Amino acid sequence: MDRRSFLALTLAGAAARPGLAAAQAKRKMAMIMPGPIQDADFNAVGYLALQQVAKTYDLQVSHSESVVVADAERITREYVTAGYEIVANHGGQFIPIMNKLAPQLSNATWIQEASGRLPNLPKNVWNIGRKFHQGFYVLGALGALATKTDRVGMVCGVRLPDVITSVNSVAQAIKDVNGKAQLLYNWVGDFNDPVKARQTAEAQIAAGADFIVVFVNLGLSGVIEAVKAAPRPVLLTTFYTEKWDLAPKNLAISLLFDFNKPYHEIVGKILKGERTGYYEMRPGSGMELSEIRNVPPGVGDKVRAIFKDVVGGKAIPEVLDKTP
Amino acid sequence: MSLWLLVDPHLWQQTLVYAAPLIIAALGELIIERSGVLNIGIEGMMLVAAVTCFVVTWQTRSAAAGIVAGMGAAAILTLLLVYYAVALGGPQITVGLGLYVLGVGLSSLLFRVVFGVRTSPPSVQTLAPVPLPGLADLPVVGHVFFHQTLLTYLAFLLVPLVHLALFRTPWGLRLRATGENPRSVDALGISVERLRYGAAAVGGLLIGLGGAYLPIVLTGTFSDNMTAGRGWLALMLVIFGRWMPFTALGGALLFAYVEAFQFKAGIVEKAVPVQFLLMLPYLFALVVLVRIYRGARAPQALAVPYDREARG
Repeated sequence: MDRRSFLALTLAGAAARPGLAAAQAKRKMAMIMPGPIQDADFNAVGYLALQQVAKTYDLQVSHSESVVVADAERITREYVTAGYEIVANHGGQFIPIMNKLAPQLSNATWIQEASGRLPNLPKNVWNIGRKFHQGFYVLGALGALATKTDRVGMVCGVRLPDVITSVNSVAQAIKDVNGKAQLLYNWVGDFNDPVKARQTAEAQIAAGADFIVVFVNLGLSGVIEAVKAAPRPVLLTTFYTEKWDLAPKNLAISLLFDFNKPYHEIVGKILKGERTGYYEMRPGSGMELSEIRNVPPGVGDKVRAIFKDVVGGKAIPEVLDKTP
Repeated sequence: MSLWLLVDPHLWQQTLVYAAPLIIAALGELIIERSGVLNIGIEGMMLVAAVTCFVVTWQTRSAAAGIVAGMGAAAILTLLLVYYAVALGGPQITVGLGLYVLGVGLSSLLFRVVFGVRTSPPSVQTLAPVPLPGLADLPVVGHVFFHQTLLTYLAFLLVPLVHLALFRTPWGLRLRATGENPRSVDALGISVERLRYGAAAVGGLLIGLGGAYLPIVLTGTFSDNMTAGRGWLALMLVIFGRWMPFTALGGALLFAYVEAFQFKAGIVEKAVPVQFLLMLPYLFALVVLVRIYRGARAPQALAVPYDREARG
């Protein structure tokens, strides 16, 4: 047998293998993320949700992490050209790219996360509206009730819409629950810089804060170190995942996000041909409270009641155009 | 905004803590540059040191083992740079940039290989402050200056030590001469190569210590690109300090002070745009550097490969 015949037979044999044929037939989904998947936080939970839908719907999945906005268009085009029919943008910063590409690349379907319902949504885009501010209202209420110095700190990453609305709703909660308390907040300029996050938290603790609401990802480690080194007891909150083991004496609560649920539901609908829609993540729908710790039982009960009110539809102003 | 903010003792304490990694790394770079080798891969080297320190501390539960491993990892990279610069006569800027990019990628890869994807970040115990007996109880200054970790004390102790080594020992004289005029050193029968390798090893260990400081003193964990430009700042501090340890220390303290100040100012002053406050330390560094650079004189043979056979 000459070399050409051998190659032809090998290729024919490979093509005839059922496993390979099945792999070729798999539908493809990609996810674009703004940070690294080992952040043990926002990007990690997105990645895990992607793996979960891959398993559930037998999809071929791929992801790109630490994607800056300037690269997002190129990466998205590469995925769509390579046959990826679902592109999930796990971050609100990619909305302009989605708005540009979705009408052009109409064979693909997008899943776009945002801080709420997007206006003029293209017909091939699913919109996940994450109502962070509703969840952070509850964290702010806990801070206002638990503080002994009447100063609640808030360490914020980047001035994105989700964060701005959350700062405002924490301020609102403090006003509603403890009129004497004051909000001290700073912008770190990065969600994943633990050194700067620690400096920020230390500045707030020095200014009197004894409860810190955290809106950074990997920066949390720096906040935890600041809290542990503080001259007086300081409590803090986290979100996305439960991280109580990192600071058992200081962690008061986690606002838990379940991205599996919206992705599972939306991808299922896309595969059935439903290519546009809106899914809201809010307290009671993909956002839950962890156990409340390190505060008096009465405070925990009040906070659970507030959470229940929010789940029940309590109106919380969504202020986006200014900060307190 | 109250003027009291400018002299807040907590601001000074933060200044010392956050200036320490800058000054340690800058001293390492200074020693290497004094020998005539330009190392612009310092940012990547600090990252590799940080991740190595974190991983080894995590595995062994020993901060000392982690620090030593981090220092060693950075020293290997600086020796690699000097091998290219000395043995192969390669372009130091190109190799330095290559090592920087390598360091960024390698540190991230190493962390991922060891820890994978988690929903709770791995962490290690950070070093606790060691109050100096008798001094830590002094009013105001006691807590600011004498309630630090061992590595912070070491950072400030290293400044006079490096100064003495460079300007009061035969080794320092030879090293400086190598950076200024390697041919004259060679003519005296002293090995230029050996001096440059030695400087790279010592400097690399210090750069590694600066990188290890971040996880083991400040954060208890590693995150991608956690040096966030501190390596580049250390490089700038060497120029700022005109290749002198004490002036480099002054630069590190100034930068750390402005950085700590902007966080404090951000709490009380909301009229100033946050982007401006975040930019302030770097803007300050740029303005000061432009002023300082006038008249600064780098070692004559810096970044110039030495060829003993060349006519010159």
